[in-house]
Amino acid sequence: MAKGIWVYVEQRDGKVKKVTYELLSGGRKIADALGEELCAVLPGKGVAGLAAELGEYGADKVFVLESDSLENYTTDGYANAVADLAKQNDPTAILMGCTVTGRDLAAQVAQKLGTGLMTDCTEMALENGQLVFTRPIYAGKAFVKASCPEARPAMATIRPNIIAIEKAAKSAEVVSAAANTGDIRQAVKDIALQISSRPELTEADIIVSGGRGMKGPENFAILEELADVLGAAVGASRAAVDAGWVTHSFQVGQTGKTVSPVVYIACGISGAIQHLAGMSTSKCIVAVNKDPEANIFKVADYGIVGDLFEVVPLLKEEFKKILA
Amino acid sequence: MKIVVCMKQTFDTEAKIAVDANGKINKQGVSLIMNPYDEFAVEEALKIKEKSSGEVTVVTVAGPEGQDALRQALAMGADKAVLVDPGMDEIDEFTTASILAKAISEMEYDVLLGGFRAIDDGSAQVAGRVAEILGIPVVNVVTKLEIADGKAVATSEIEGGSQTVEVALPAMFTAQKGLNEPRYPSMKGIMQAKKKPMEKKALGDLGLDAGQVAPKVKAISYFLPSARAAGKIIPGEPADAARDLVKALREEAKVV
Amino acid sequence: MSEPLMIFDEVRDVIVASGGEEIQKCMQCGLCAGSCPWGRMEEKSEFNVRELFHMGRLGYDGYESDDYLFACTTCNQCAVKCPRGIKIPNVVRSMRSVIAETGGIPKNLKAVLGSINSQGNPWSQEKDERTAWTNGLDVPEFTPDKEYLLYVCCTSAYDGRSQKVAKSIVQLLKAAGVSFGIIGNEEKCCGESVRKIGAEEEFGKLAEYNINLFNQKGVKKIITTSPHCLYTFKTEYPEFGGEYEVVHYSELFKQLVSEGKINLSKPVAQKVIYHEPCYLGRHSRVFEAPRELLGKVPELSFMDYKDNQDYSLCCSGGGARIWMETKAGQRFSDVKVKEASEAGAQVIATACPYCIVMLEDALKGQNKDEEMSVKDLSEILVESL
Ligand code: SF4
Ligand code: SF4
Repeated sequence: MAKGIWVYVEQRDGKVKKVTYELLSGGRKIADALGEELCAVLPGKGVAGLAAELGEYGADKVFVLESDSLENYTTDGYANAVADLAKQNDPTAILMGCTVTGRDLAAQVAQKLGTGLMTDCTEMALENGQLVFTRPIYAGKAFVKASCPEARPAMATIRPNIIAIEKAAKSAEVVSAAANTGDIRQAVKDIALQISSRPELTEADIIVSGGRGMKGPENFAILEELADVLGAAVGASRAAVDAGWVTHSFQVGQTGKTVSPVVYIACGISGAIQHLAGMSTSKCIVAVNKDPEANIFKVADYGIVGDLFEVVPLLKEEFKKILA
Repeated sequence: MKIVVCMKQTFDTEAKIAVDANGKINKQGVSLIMNPYDEFAVEEALKIKEKSSGEVTVVTVAGPEGQDALRQALAMGADKAVLVDPGMDEIDEFTTASILAKAISEMEYDVLLGGFRAIDDGSAQVAGRVAEILGIPVVNVVTKLEIADGKAVATSEIEGGSQTVEVALPAMFTAQKGLNEPRYPSMKGIMQAKKKPMEKKALGDLGLDAGQVAPKVKAISYFLPSARAAGKIIPGEPADAARDLVKALREEAKVV
Repeated sequence: MSEPLMIFDEVRDVIVASGGEEIQKCMQCGLCAGSCPWGRMEEKSEFNVRELFHMGRLGYDGYESDDYLFACTTCNQCAVKCPRGIKIPNVVRSMRSVIAETGGIPKNLKAVLGSINSQGNPWSQEKDERTAWTNGLDVPEFTPDKEYLLYVCCTSAYDGRSQKVAKSIVQLLKAAGVSFGIIGNEEKCCGESVRKIGAEEEFGKLAEYNINLFNQKGVKKIITTSPHCLYTFKTEYPEFGGEYEVVHYSELFKQLVSEGKINLSKPVAQKVIYHEPCYLGRHSRVFEAPRELLGKVPELSFMDYKDNQDYSLCCSGGGARIWMETKAGQRFSDVKVKEASEAGAQVIATACPYCIVMLEDALKGQNKDEEMSVKDLSEILVESL
């Protein structure tokens, strides 16, 4: 009989990712409802010290998988170690953050365990004793609610920033387990971290976009600053591209890139139809424009009628406060 | 060099999604296209072939309509296509991966490619599962790939940057945007594609039965997001409006 | 080692089979390419229609790209010169259709097709909002007792700027007491650009759908706001069994003015230059009506472009180019704005929603939108009511 809700601890350089705490907070409730243990699975090198911290967020038990070969993340090393531990302990569910690493790891572990995996979930609930996950499909134009009714463990990757973090002072039992990393076939030659890398336009969750109202190339700096606070990509309307302020690769719209982010912030964009056609499926559209008659307000969920040179820097400060 | 590309036909990005009377996603009246990430995979396969000679086979698990996407790949320059029709109502990534892996296991291969995700369900796990079943390594979200001397050096995305990974072949690579710029099929390619082999198989032809590949994940229900509320203009002085907007985005829209 | 060029007859055969039989008549004189605007822009384009035909006939590769096969705006200027009388845009369309069938059309156009398929319009807008432009305006619904169906182009139905055109036309029709109505949300795009993209199957579906709808509603006569819809309804729907009396609004207004039903009395004291929409002029042979109407507006000083009527330069928005990116230096619309400005025009008047989009973008791009404006003919007529 499978037992235990597991959360994979994603860390880099000894720092635990926030999504891990979110999963522990969410997993805690599920574990309580099922009367099972919440376990954190912590692979890495020199990471044992992080175990106590995980207890503070609700873990009953922390499996520490220490190994020199787990120093850097590799698909094989981590998947072998986690799958092996799961085979020995037979958990009910394994949750991971839907990050680049989480996504990579989850598919391999799920197949090694011959089980089902629901990725990119935005909701997790318990219905009739069964873990049920909701995930967007068709770029968020629909949702599917699904479960893994028989195979164990049920696996899911969950988007960051979905579950609120709640502390639950537990002192977790720390279990050192053998890390069976097996044969690691991916040899990492080089890691290049960018200090502030903005995401690609079509991949970004948030886009800050500027139009003719930006008045000149130098003013895009204020959009970039806002984008960096939000981890957003910077886009532009055709008018701004045509004016030569930014290159075509920034262009959002029918003759540029079609985007569908969670948040689209349009600054000084009037809302020509070619532009709207390229971004109107964004989940939440914010418009800042001087002209209350601008077409962009017809599709915007939230609008501010005002001078973007005043409003955008203020927005940056406000976002900084809540994202700190 | 033998290259196999796993691909999928998807709804186009503009498709209007609706739920039909049976509570399933309505497939009527939408255009079907080759999954854009798979186009990158096909293009990369063709580039490898052009450099080192060899053969490109494209495989998909789909109903008969999936042939259109395969034909596009053939017109782009792939040599052979295989379509496996599972003939099952419900499938999941486990099902698809098990079938693909079985079909591929009957071929010779040095390099396997696929899009890192499909734009319809976006689950990003089939290619990884296929690699696992075949017992070969996988490198996901690849933006650069070099193949030489039985090895591959791949640049792939990681959180906040990129990494370079070396693997021995055979191996699976999943394509991310930026890997290349897919070509259009040429008129000549289209004509030639008509003569290229397209195999259609059923599960039984692969020695599989529906029970072996039965889905692990079951869909309970499909639903559409709630309709967009009328837009709100946030009033007030710039400072107040900015504060209220950020508050609304966090507390009301719950998007930041 | 580069492969020797191999002649590949099947390509020609399939072009012929797809409706491009006239490619066989071409004698490679090059008069077409000589008059094609792409060769006359500041920055030369690689696109050459004579060469395209040559490659197509011999089955060579290498022209299947956004900037070559899909460059042609189907403006029909070349065909005016062709000594063999070849309908050149038609051959281009048939070549595109071979590619389109295999999913190889330009990325931007895939989205356009997808949107038309699921929403009935190319602009990725909700199909249920097709009549949103009528809000606050009492636009009658079409019923069998109405003389005309007013078919509003998708662009004028959804684009905020272009909605003004639809509204002006309605205002004029009402002022003249014309019996008309709109069908609205049930309508789908006429499919003009769908066919130009090469998506024959999709075009056929649209045509059948609309014809069915029109017949069901009892439509006999149609007024179009766009020359593209005009051309399609008039010359292409009959292939599918849809026979209607179709007019562009300018033709109808010309008649209404001469009958005294529209009274153009208010002066519009502006220098107006007329940009000829290719699908109104060259394709549909409506040259007179817009000029005559502008000539009747009191105090309006009318100008023609140096190259006009059969020789007028396209805005570059036809043939689905409106959804594709054209490099600066190659945009026909930029030339049109420059010429208008040199001629001292204050207003560029036209009678096509695509031309308005292209010309306004060009105006903004040259920062001339303060000194000059782009207006639809109907908007000028309303000013003069
Ligand atoms: S003008 Fe006519 S005959 Fe001459 S090259 Fe062009 S298409 Fe051929
Ligand atoms: S139709 Fe117009 S754009 Fe096309 S080849 Fe002829 S002149 Fe050139």
